[in-house]
Amino acid sequence: MKLTKRDSGPSKVEIPMAPMIDIVFQLLIFFMLNLKIVAPEGNFNINMPIGAPSQSSPEEPNLPDIKVGLKSDANGNLTQLTLGQKNLGNDDAAFDRLNAEILKIIVRPGNPLTKDVEVEIAADYELHYKYVIRAVSKCTGRIDPQTKQMVRYIEKIKFAPPGKPRGEA
Amino acid sequence: MAKRKSDSSVIEPDMTPMIDIVFQLLTFFMIVSNFENTKADERVKLPQDALAKPPEVKPKDELVLNIGFIRNSAGAKVDPNPVLFYAGSDIPLDKIRPELEQEKRLFVLKAGSEKVLEDVAVIIRADADVPTGMVQDLIKTCQDIGYTKFSLKATQEE
Repeated sequence: MKLTKRDSGPSKVEIPMAPMIDIVFQLLIFFMLNLKIVAPEGNFNINMPIGAPSQSSPEEPNLPDIKVGLKSDANGNLTQLTLGQKNLGNDDAAFDRLNAEILKIIVRPGNPLTKDVEVEIAADYELHYKYVIRAVSKCTGRIDPQTKQMVRYIEKIKFAPPGKPRGEA
Repeated sequence: MAKRKSDSSVIEPDMTPMIDIVFQLLTFFMIVSNFENTKADERVKLPQDALAKPPEVKPKDELVLNIGFIRNSAGAKVDPNPVLFYAGSDIPLDKIRPELEQEKRLFVLKAGSEKVLEDVAVIIRADADVPTGMVQDLIKTCQDIGYTKFSLKATQEE
């Protein structure tokens, strides 16, 4: 009996698996419960200062600032989208028109001559924030339908001084 | 002899495949779960946009401001006035200056100089229905306090 035990002993070391499996399951449950599916989020950078006139250096070519105006009703719905003096309407197509007009102004994406152009967004106080984001997005660029890559138009976005709420105006 | 008999009756299942799978699952959940978004508040229904891309360069410091509405379980607004979800409390937007100033003091204390505010990006997560003027007023307040970098958040559209 002694002999056989000694023979089988050193040849096979049994690692206790139970504690490891316990811990691994604990970890697994922890990470499973922590899992939160969130949509990826992205940023739009905006140029500040608000309202203060942009310090245009003298050597800068004379480029017109692009002014995008968003008018709203008292409930915050978009009533009019304007680019400079031009009225673009207030439907979904208006934002596409804005996108096309911006492209016309910068001539071609990545144009070095127009990379310093700034877009100024003037929105009514009550306007829902989502319309501003859409306008900012349409000025920033578009997704190329073929390559699914982003084509950048204008990166410098700033806000006009905030308006007053309707009641106070 | 009796003892030996009982030994042989113990069935040892092969644990290896199970452990393999469990480790696979563990790794999957570890990679998928992100702890970075902890400052984001789920109550804010961000606007959606196809062009919203995660920033290529992460700012050194960031101050995330969650602006949204208090909603009931059905998603309807309980209060028409937006609030700032800040550290577990809901603060009306016109009363947040002390909190922003406190954040500034913390940033300055951590870095040791006022210059740090040039590197702090104020990330604005505003609800899609928040009036724009309120967001602009908030940015204005931040500027008065000394923050200079701002960015607006949107979720990526499918």
